[in-house]
Amino acid sequence: MSTNTETTSNHAEPKPGMNAASRRYTTDLTATGEPFLWGLGGALALGILLVVGFLVLIFWNGIATFWPKPIEVVTLNSGTVVAGEPTRDNVFKPGDGLLERLTEQDREIIDSNVGFAHRVLYRTGNYDLYNEDFRWVSDFEIAKVETPPGMYLFERQEWGVFIGRIAGLVLDGESRNLSDYDRAAIQEQQEAARERFEEIRHIERDEIGEVNYYMEQARLDLKRVALDHGRDSGEYRQAERETEQQITELQREYEQLAARAEAIKETDRRYRITLEEIGGEQKELPLSEIVRFYPANDLSPFGKAAVYFSRWGEFLTSEPREANTEGGVLPAIFGTVAMTLIMVVFVAPLGVITALYLREYAKQGRLVSIVRISVNNLAGVPSIVYGVFGLGFFAYTLGGGIDALFYPERLPSPTFGTGGILWASLTLALLTVPVVIVASEEALSAVPRSMREGSLACGASTWQTLRRVVLPRAMPGIMTGLILAMARGAGEVAPLMLVGVVKLAPELPVDGFFPYVHLERSFMHLGFHIFDVGFQSRNSEAGKPMVYVTTMLLLALIVLMNASAIYIRNRLKKRFAGSAF
Amino acid sequence: MNATAEAAPDEAPKFNPTAYHVTKSDQGDILDIRNFNLWYDDVQALFDITMEVPRGLVTALIGPSGCGKSTLLRCINRMNDLIDEVRVDGRMAVDERDIYGKGVDVISLRKRMGMVFQKPNPFAMSIFENVVYPLRVDGVTDKSVLEDTCERALRGAALWEETKDRLKESGLSMSGGQQQRLCIARAIASDPEVLLMDEPASALDPIATAKIEELIDELRGQYSIVIVTHNMQQAARVSDNTAFMYLGRLIEFGHTETLFTNPKLKQTSDYISGRFG
Repeated sequence: MSTNTETTSNHAEPKPGMNAASRRYTTDLTATGEPFLWGLGGALALGILLVVGFLVLIFWNGIATFWPKPIEVVTLNSGTVVAGEPTRDNVFKPGDGLLERLTEQDREIIDSNVGFAHRVLYRTGNYDLYNEDFRWVSDFEIAKVETPPGMYLFERQEWGVFIGRIAGLVLDGESRNLSDYDRAAIQEQQEAARERFEEIRHIERDEIGEVNYYMEQARLDLKRVALDHGRDSGEYRQAERETEQQITELQREYEQLAARAEAIKETDRRYRITLEEIGGEQKELPLSEIVRFYPANDLSPFGKAAVYFSRWGEFLTSEPREANTEGGVLPAIFGTVAMTLIMVVFVAPLGVITALYLREYAKQGRLVSIVRISVNNLAGVPSIVYGVFGLGFFAYTLGGGIDALFYPERLPSPTFGTGGILWASLTLALLTVPVVIVASEEALSAVPRSMREGSLACGASTWQTLRRVVLPRAMPGIMTGLILAMARGAGEVAPLMLVGVVKLAPELPVDGFFPYVHLERSFMHLGFHIFDVGFQSRNSEAGKPMVYVTTMLLLALIVLMNASAIYIRNRLKKRFAGSAF
Repeated sequence: MNATAEAAPDEAPKFNPTAYHVTKSDQGDILDIRNFNLWYDDVQALFDITMEVPRGLVTALIGPSGCGKSTLLRCINRMNDLIDEVRVDGRMAVDERDIYGKGVDVISLRKRMGMVFQKPNPFAMSIFENVVYPLRVDGVTDKSVLEDTCERALRGAALWEETKDRLKESGLSMSGGQQQRLCIARAIASDPEVLLMDEPASALDPIATAKIEELIDELRGQYSIVIVTHNMQQAARVSDNTAFMYLGRLIEFGHTETLFTNPKLKQTSDYISGRFG
């Protein structure tokens, strides 16, 4: 064998300065007596292939989603014109009825493809005009395909995208000649209109929302007085007068704000745009309704990149629109991260303390064995069962109790007595605590006995030994358990649907009203968002790209959280790096 | 294996160590062990041990593996309490106070004894924190006290010159021999009465071993040292008195030189001449 010769020659004439590492020894697999190595390696390769394939699918679709596609204008044999973004294509088997209506030539092509025809799915948009977003176009229907300039894609606040041309422009109440306005000028007007829209929204949601909040608060305070003192008491009458006065004041404030919003709306109505779809039908709408628009076929690569990043920006920083199939996922990102962190806050002490008792204090006997087996079995309980438990125990029993004690004035509408981020986090903490207990126990038992003895021999108590010597040393292992728990918790959806995740949460769990953190509020979650967009929306085809993007984001978020935990763990580990003895 | 050795446990001669040529200290005895027995569950590991350990001297425990010398040593500061199955009876006293009496505060008992283990076991802390650990668990926070103690203990363990500029570094960054001397410094930091050493040099190279032996020699007089060793030369070099144990029994206990040159019993002479063990 050539390898052998090479090795021998190395031995025979050692070159000066040649070290042992530069020699290579290879052996036949059969000669090493490891024929099963192929089996083991094959299993690993298969596993890696599955994971990589999954990730490539998610990332490829996720990354490509926001890239602007060209708009094709397809003229059909029937004379109809269809304009849209080609989304995907497939082959299908035309039925007999359809085949009969085709020309001889088309039938021959289909026959030569063993009866299959090819078709393309176009995203035509204009739901308000067509009652559908997508349209299949078969190859045999097509007379010609063009990508003409001047075709625009408009993303609208409502009704999804509009594909067509700009037919008219009304600025400040006057109809303008379109030739005076190039795209940049229209875009400038659109951005100004968008700013007005945002301002109206700010006034209506934030400022009027604040006034409403204080009004509600005043009413609740009054109700509280009624509950505490009765409706006939002097205190109640006093409070009633004060509340009335307060509400009148707030009402005045509200009217001022409403008038301000109305003024801006008045201006807004004077800026309008007329859009024309490919068939010639027109639609007029306020300029502020348009979130983003671009001439799909006239964009340079830089222009496309600008649209791409602007869409990513919107996705990451704004709220969903259009039943979650458009817009952003910021509330869901926030909900996912907040829920996971709150879960860790609960699960870490609970799991570690349990493991400490089981491993360090409890007398190792039958009872402890039973507890340990039960903990391991808990890890196998279906997560939906935890969800049911969380709803029944945390939300209804605990939360109901809290409501009755602390928020009687709000009843019958529940405060804590329904799903919320606190109950969701607690449910997930229960779900993941077995992982933490098992990992922590392993980590504790891996601390060498000599360390404990060294500390105890110095006159330390068991607790001092645990706190100063054992726990720091077990910390990397405990962190590993927490990381596993976090990954499991952040990706869990089923139990959350019962204990507080909603399709659209109008308010984040953190805001400017005392006490600033509202753990009783329901929240949005990326995992549930995927389910909702993919399977619960009116048009699953429209939601599909969002499913990929959201999945990618959820994966990235979990990787990010795990990476930071692993970074902390490795820094802890470094302290024990030299402990060879 | 020698026939005499195999038959030994049954015909172990009745032997009163106190009557033997133990080098006595002018300060009296620190440890008094009387008829001490120990069981792991149903298996008896120590049989009727009776010995007196003189104050301020070095006492070596030798014997083949499994003879119970480490077990005996660990009984002195009740480290065997950590093992659930251990039962003991008989009397063991340090400075006239019972170790296994009712209501003995194990923690304060351990504070009066320093222990050095077979493998160096410094904590994952700085050198400084390692040394002052016994004071930390006592709740001492006075910086000057801690610094003084650290210096005294490190000087005592002949480690001060090597470490005085790197006290903030991790104790795990040192060499094996240094780590073991760090553990000795930790053991003497709280100024204990007794220093228990369980084969302190067995995991070290010859140079580090020599340093440890030198150190034991220097500590003689300040502390009463009980050292378990596998290495008979080491016992001969460092100790004043030597106890030979075999299969859980104390066979012979006496002045080191006499025991090695002129053992009273055949078992002892067989062991020290290397015929078994």
